[in-house]
Amino acid sequence: MIEKGKISSLQMAMIMYPVVVATGDLFIPAVTAKHANRDLWISPLWGSLIGFFVVYIIFQLHKLFPKETLIQQTERIFGRIVGKIIGISFLFVMLQINSQIIRQYGQFVGNVFLVKTPILIVIGSIVLVCGFAVRGGLEVIARCAQLFVPIVLLTWVLFFILLIPDMEPRNMLPIMAKGILPSIKGAIPQAAIFEHFVLLTFMLPYLTDLKKGMKWGVISVFITMLTLVLITMSSLFIFGDITSELAFPVMIAIRYIEMAGFIEHLEALMMAIWVIGTFLKISTYYYVFVLGISQWLHLSDYRPMVFPSGFLLIAFSIWVATDVQEFLHFLSTVSYFQSASFEIGIPTILLLAALAQKKIRKNKEGKKG
Amino acid sequence: MDVFKKLVRKGYVSSQTKISADKLQDITGMQIPLSLELNENLQTLQTIYENCLYVVFHNFLISGKTNALLIFIEGLSDKDMINEYVLTPLSQGTSEVQESTPIVQNKISLSNHKEVKTFEEVIEQVSMGNPVLLIDKEMNGIALNLSKWEHRSIQEPVAEPIIKGPREGFTETLSVNMSLLLRKIKSPLFKMNSVKLGRYTQTQIVVAYIEGLADPNLVQEVMNRLERIDMDGVLESGYIEEMIEDNPFSPFPQLLTTERPDAVAAQLLEGRVSILVDGTPIVIVVPTTLFSLLQSPEDYYQRFMISSMIRWLRYLFVVIALVAPSVYVAILTYHQEMVPTTLLLSISKSREDIPFPAFFEALLMEITFEALREAGIRLPKQVGSAVSIVGALVIGQAATAAGLVSSPMVMVVALTGIASFMIPHYSTGVSFRLLRFPLMILAGILGLLGVVLGMITIVIHLCTLRSFGVPYMTPLAPMKTRDMKDVLVRAPWWMLKTRPHLTGAGNKYRQSPGEIPGSSKGDESE
Repeated sequence: MIEKGKISSLQMAMIMYPVVVATGDLFIPAVTAKHANRDLWISPLWGSLIGFFVVYIIFQLHKLFPKETLIQQTERIFGRIVGKIIGISFLFVMLQINSQIIRQYGQFVGNVFLVKTPILIVIGSIVLVCGFAVRGGLEVIARCAQLFVPIVLLTWVLFFILLIPDMEPRNMLPIMAKGILPSIKGAIPQAAIFEHFVLLTFMLPYLTDLKKGMKWGVISVFITMLTLVLITMSSLFIFGDITSELAFPVMIAIRYIEMAGFIEHLEALMMAIWVIGTFLKISTYYYVFVLGISQWLHLSDYRPMVFPSGFLLIAFSIWVATDVQEFLHFLSTVSYFQSASFEIGIPTILLLAALAQKKIRKNKEGKKG
Repeated sequence: MDVFKKLVRKGYVSSQTKISADKLQDITGMQIPLSLELNENLQTLQTIYENCLYVVFHNFLISGKTNALLIFIEGLSDKDMINEYVLTPLSQGTSEVQESTPIVQNKISLSNHKEVKTFEEVIEQVSMGNPVLLIDKEMNGIALNLSKWEHRSIQEPVAEPIIKGPREGFTETLSVNMSLLLRKIKSPLFKMNSVKLGRYTQTQIVVAYIEGLADPNLVQEVMNRLERIDMDGVLESGYIEEMIEDNPFSPFPQLLTTERPDAVAAQLLEGRVSILVDGTPIVIVVPTTLFSLLQSPEDYYQRFMISSMIRWLRYLFVVIALVAPSVYVAILTYHQEMVPTTLLLSISKSREDIPFPAFFEALLMEITFEALREAGIRLPKQVGSAVSIVGALVIGQAATAAGLVSSPMVMVVALTGIASFMIPHYSTGVSFRLLRFPLMILAGILGLLGVVLGMITIVIHLCTLRSFGVPYMTPLAPMKTRDMKDVLVRAPWWMLKTRPHLTGAGNKYRQSPGEIPGSSKGDESE
């Protein structure tokens, strides 16, 4: 195997948490509120169903082909040529999604904190740092996640507690005023978040305790759902109906925090925490791309691919959109379908095809016997 | 032409060193057995020790009949003891027959002697300070353990002082250091292996471990890495430290070095391996983790609540030592809105006359501080106090009065300085102090984002590091919940039931269960 490191299923869950929650946590309330209005906190519940579905499919695939990632599985199921084509298109989408994440990061940091710094510097620096982590391999990413995720979680909890005085629970009433449909519509951007669980396929082969893997996969979906419910709920409680009008509701909420006349303007701290989460997210996608492309090319080591892929990532994150308007439009329209078709569609088709193959083979054996 | 000359000279020099190395090889690799004829032996040894005026060849007659030769190095061997216990009993009396080795050994009233068979062994023993006695018509010589040289007495460790706990520290003499450890661990399972390193210095290195606690593979790995070393000399444990590390390009020490016997004994009891080097009081312990490097032996001697609190304080100040100046620079340059208004007003008031941007101010002060610290170590004690007075004036008052540096910056730098000295192991503190400079540069370029990215890079590096196969960040990453009791807090001794996961796996429990004390109900005297 190319990756020699091993991780525990707890570490896997800790990697997946920022992969799914980070970056999205800033604007997901606004995007969801556009469709779901006051029911935006119900949407993560629907969205998490997609999460459970993806986890289930990935585990079934893993059961059929243990010790293989999705890239190797496609080749096994569809044969060499078709498998290679599907594999590279899947990897291309991984690259594309990661460059979207990086662009979001660059856009946010550029807009809010480093207004005069060229976006290339902001993007280049994070990609370089992520490159170091990817070079270290899955083990290093897992250890970083294990160190950082508790800090990130604790800080979010702290922010939540500090915001409690500003919350107005009555904002959520009436619940489901327009029926169930708005909250389901709001679940579409939520589902785009939960689809990231497809990355599990690149971690399952390297687990030390596979038996607990399914348990931790489900737990991480559940905790993600809980986090999203809390985030959407708190921004609803604070902003009420205007949630959908704000670009980054969570950040504006944190600007509200003022304690003892001394603790105020915590958004720099929030940015620090947010950058840490984003770092883990970008590194994991980056790692998956590097590992996938090396498996696709049947290389013996993935390290030579790290820095070339980094350049590709920087270039793609610039190319992904010419300006902010186009980028936001892309994010709220095309990207849902893109990620859904590749992150849910391909694994589902793979599983169905694999099961069908298995059945046919069994039938044949049965006839022979 | 010059270049050509230089090349020639270089070639000449290198060929010469090669020759001398060959000669060294010849002498040390001489497995030639000693001859029966004493004169032959004498001649060979005299050619080997040509121009070595420190070697004494003493010819004498045993019991007035048998020729004998005593070889020793003046200053390394105890002359009085040689006269009293070797020469006097041997020269006494007369005997008609040729004396043989067993009889001679009986006559010498010494507890420790050893037979030597080859020239190599003779040379080895003589250089260690043990006189060698060669007798005519005898195949084997006798090495007498009479080495004695001037050495420092046991003193309190200078670099690692503690308040509650043993006061003794290692010295430069290997045998003394070994005895200090043996005084603490009195089990025959306490093993010591020896290696000789250094082509010229032939430094003795002892690998100590407790059988049954230390992983045999680890001991083997330590021995392998030590035996791989081939260098001219090993004068301090720092020489081999850099030769056996897992990652040679890291600012962090991957081995624990200490001059406290109690610290080494505690580490041995956790299943680690220690390396003692002759000629230095600094002992190496492997494997280590970042958190062991942030602990002091005193943590285990104080009450557990106090130790836990001190550990938290230490972790807090490690972070401060690393990021305080860079965060200050970042906030003052890019994120002024983070500072509460009144504080911002007072800071900006004091910065009004300062001609430098915050970044240069911080860099200036930090470099000055580092220079003062280094000068404080190097300067003779008599001048030291003068430097500290001048330093305090330069850093503190004069610089602020002259309007070169603002007083908040002086506070930040002073705090950072104090924070870095809270780290109990000097070499670890130096690593953190070094890393503060790149972080400051990042803060000057990208503000808090730069600091965060720098910290992430440091954490990535720490997560990549291993010390003899043990991940550097254990037990936080990879997480070992059971080992947290000795990292996040210092649990009371009756709760420290298990050894650290990655070093003491072979022998898990270090206490019997149910050690928690309490007032005994049966003894109530009411």
